[in-house]
Amino acid sequence: MRRWLTSQPMQQTVFVGPALLAYAIVMVLPFLLGLYYSFTNWNGVASHIDWVGLRNYKTILTDDPDFGRSLWFTAKFTVAVVLISNLLGFLIAYLLSKPLKSRNWLRTLFFMPNVLGGLLLGFIWRFIFTQSFPALGQATGFGFFNLSWLGTESTGFWGLVIVSVWQGAGYLMVIYIAGLTNVPSDMLEAAAIDGASGMQILRNIVLPLIMPAVTVCLFLSISWTFKSFDLNYSLTQGGPYGTTESVAMDIYYEAFKNNRYGLGTAKAFVFFVVVAVITLVQVSITKKREVEM
Amino acid sequence: MRTQPYGGKLFASEIAVILLALLFLVPFYFVAVNSFKSFSELLVDTSGLPKHVEWHNYQRAWEVLHFPRALRNSILITALSGIAMVLVSSMAAYRLLRRPTKGNRLLFTMFIASMIIPFQAIMIPLVKVGNWFHLLNSIPGIMICYAGLGASFTIFLYHGFMKSIPLEIEEAAVMDGCTPYGIFWRIVFPLLKPMTVTVLVLQSLWMWNDFLLPLLVLQKPELQTIQLATNSLFGQYMKQWDLALAALVMGILPILVFFLLLQRHIIQGITAGAVKG
Amino acid sequence: MRKWASVVGVAMLSGAMLAGCGGKNDAQQETQGSGAPAKEVTIKILNFKVEIAEQFNKLKESYEQSHPGIKLQIDTILGGDDYNTQLKARFASGEMPDIFNNEGYTNLNAWAEYLEDLSDQPWVKDEVELAKEPMTRDGKVYGMPVGLEGLGFLYNKDMFAKAGITELPKTLSQLEEVAKKLEAAGMQPFVNTFDNWFGLGFHSANNAFAKQPDPNAFIQGLNDGTAKFTDNGIFKDWVKLFDLVIKYGNKNALTTDYNNASTLFATGKGAINMGGNWLQPVLDKLTPGMNVGIMPMPINEDAALNDKLFVGPANNWVIYNKSPVKQEAKEFLNWLVSSDEGQRYLTKEFKFIPAFTNIQFDPADLGALGAEVKKYIDDGKILGWHWAKYPDGVAQEFGTSMQKHIAGKIDGDQMLAEFQAAWDKMKTR
Repeated sequence: MRRWLTSQPMQQTVFVGPALLAYAIVMVLPFLLGLYYSFTNWNGVASHIDWVGLRNYKTILTDDPDFGRSLWFTAKFTVAVVLISNLLGFLIAYLLSKPLKSRNWLRTLFFMPNVLGGLLLGFIWRFIFTQSFPALGQATGFGFFNLSWLGTESTGFWGLVIVSVWQGAGYLMVIYIAGLTNVPSDMLEAAAIDGASGMQILRNIVLPLIMPAVTVCLFLSISWTFKSFDLNYSLTQGGPYGTTESVAMDIYYEAFKNNRYGLGTAKAFVFFVVVAVITLVQVSITKKREVEM
Repeated sequence: MRTQPYGGKLFASEIAVILLALLFLVPFYFVAVNSFKSFSELLVDTSGLPKHVEWHNYQRAWEVLHFPRALRNSILITALSGIAMVLVSSMAAYRLLRRPTKGNRLLFTMFIASMIIPFQAIMIPLVKVGNWFHLLNSIPGIMICYAGLGASFTIFLYHGFMKSIPLEIEEAAVMDGCTPYGIFWRIVFPLLKPMTVTVLVLQSLWMWNDFLLPLLVLQKPELQTIQLATNSLFGQYMKQWDLALAALVMGILPILVFFLLLQRHIIQGITAGAVKG
Repeated sequence: MRKWASVVGVAMLSGAMLAGCGGKNDAQQETQGSGAPAKEVTIKILNFKVEIAEQFNKLKESYEQSHPGIKLQIDTILGGDDYNTQLKARFASGEMPDIFNNEGYTNLNAWAEYLEDLSDQPWVKDEVELAKEPMTRDGKVYGMPVGLEGLGFLYNKDMFAKAGITELPKTLSQLEEVAKKLEAAGMQPFVNTFDNWFGLGFHSANNAFAKQPDPNAFIQGLNDGTAKFTDNGIFKDWVKLFDLVIKYGNKNALTTDYNNASTLFATGKGAINMGGNWLQPVLDKLTPGMNVGIMPMPINEDAALNDKLFVGPANNWVIYNKSPVKQEAKEFLNWLVSSDEGQRYLTKEFKFIPAFTNIQFDPADLGALGAEVKKYIDDGKILGWHWAKYPDGVAQEFGTSMQKHIAGKIDGDQMLAEFQAAWDKMKTR
């Protein structure tokens, strides 16, 4: 047997090489190039680029209320979406792990929103909020439908939350179902025989056992919601009056509409660090609560 | 889970879940119903059934979008990129998990950390770099882009899944004289099948619906995907909803069918251990 | 089977790596293209107006027929953000189109170093004066105006007649009279589109910039700190108009987009809608043959000042100065405005109001709105467009402040104070 072929360096190259190469070209290199631009005043086209040192970062930290505002919005939005979609996703998963007659169908239905995606998703929901809700309001008289949907700060915010939850809950549900199937049924039976109530079983047995799923779900939903762009862009366009502008949108506008590419990338890096810290904290907290099965 | 007799309590929860599911389907109703209305009718009356079914929308959308071409491009890009992603990421995840050296642990963390980079932050440099490596305006090029962009999440999923594969099987294979490559392709990779299906479905949904990357990387009209073509129906002052919704329905159908065919496996895939990440 | 699969997989991957190098051939072709146009050459055009995409394809066919050896490749991208993003992406990828669009002023400054100087082109002498300014820098002309567009209040003539309105309002108080009459006749006076920032920050705020005694001096004053929004009489007047429009407007205007507003307007659910002749195709689609006109937007009692529409070049064609086919590109642009065929496309098919004095056409070809705008131009009752002179990003901030005002979060003075803050912030970055 040819030894060199199975040597560790060769194995490392063959197994990790292709992925690492593609990843390096499309993620790492652009990331580093962007990092370089964040120290310049490049406008995205000019052949002339000035090195401005830390000026862009200083601007962000001291003189950019928009960035702060969008960061605050994104944080609130993420908390709401992560909480609600995980609770709903778990609830649906919990119900669907019971022997319901239609459960296979229902799993598919709840996952379906993920088939719709991108900008069109926002356009369609905008249509529903601004056209169909008023029509429903007239027909039913429910105050809920007669609100000025997307037109006020709070309806804009909750409109986005509703759509994000609508799309995300099904995805998370799948992962929770997976977690729940790993809970041994004899354990639950034993607990039930010992007279534990449904809530007690849920809290003391099920929850600890599905902590791995919780870790994954929280990580995924946090990182997706934080990066939210398409939906804000197409559903509310950041409005009304900029209250639903996410950080990713702020970055996009700064770099492309305002022709301040350097400042835009600097924002992206500040943002990256913030999100990295938050997810690290989240993963390390939930990891600690996981129970080995 | 426990086996309960199907009683009143279960029946009640079944009804509740079904109602919730119907609520989830409402937007699909709007898309489907309005795709059959004329432009003025769909703006005036959004929620009702069409007074007159306009098949014409579909016919026009088919022509305006060059639908057969766009469909071919979308399928080709999604399928090839999905395959590339599965191959390179499963290999990498295997190595990163089975040989957790310091370097590999760092690599893994790096892959995961980049899941939180917003795409908007790297898109212009990406085009520059793509130009250096001749990745633009070609299907193999966008395939590499997707393989790289999707590597993080895919490795994350495989990495978690592989933990549930017992080492003993591989050890036995080593005894039989298999090379590490043989072990991976003949023994481990087939065992990954549920996760492979999951990865394919999840990543296909993403790539099928993706707009920004194709917009940046595929600048030739003959490479247009369905998403790019559909976007040309939205002007600054007029969104041609009649055609756009018809286009949307045509665009969803293939991926929906794909999903329905494989959806049973997704749950299986994730069930079998992804949650041990 | 498994072996087979893995072999195919590896082969495909390596194939991908190799095929990923296919770009070289294109580069070679491009360098060959410069100089002798003996062989077939392709002019790549990046069009910003989705609304004319179909007509443009017809033009392509007839141009290619009359110009053997020349091919046009037309890509249409939605105007605005996506257009500029895509343009930057093409630039970064070295795949620049030969002809593309530029709005002028600050956008010209960003791109000027890559634009061909068009000062020596034959059409420059026929260009109408007001269209020149945006694309002129250091005395050189860098772009050809696509066409002129007029901005004002669109109004439903039938509804006006029904409400007994016989004369168009020339002052703010007359406008209020009109609104009251419409309301008294049971009709909704205004349909407002307040959901997007450009309708507010560009179109609406322009009213106050254009009515300054010297708009350019005013903008210069804002830049050097000698002029202020907060103590400017014209801006204070303009706030009154804005408040009037809000007061007599439809509900949920903050979420009413162009589609909804046009639908309301075209179906007679509102009598007045701020817009321009570019909305003609939308209205045609909703209510063919709608009896519609365009009128001025008065901000105070000065009838002479207010009886004017805002007219500007919709956008401009520019040529990439490193393009291998820039000679052919210049020829194409020249053909567009000087040949009968080109002129016919401009006016009849695209329905642009020509920005050139030598183009003869029947105003009726432009549609009802275009014809009326043309009349205002001929009578000299026009003011300019100034939003492209704002510092980058200001218009969007304006839109945000105006939405706050509409929602009742801030009063008119606070809105102007926010305008000031936005301008001061953006001009320094």
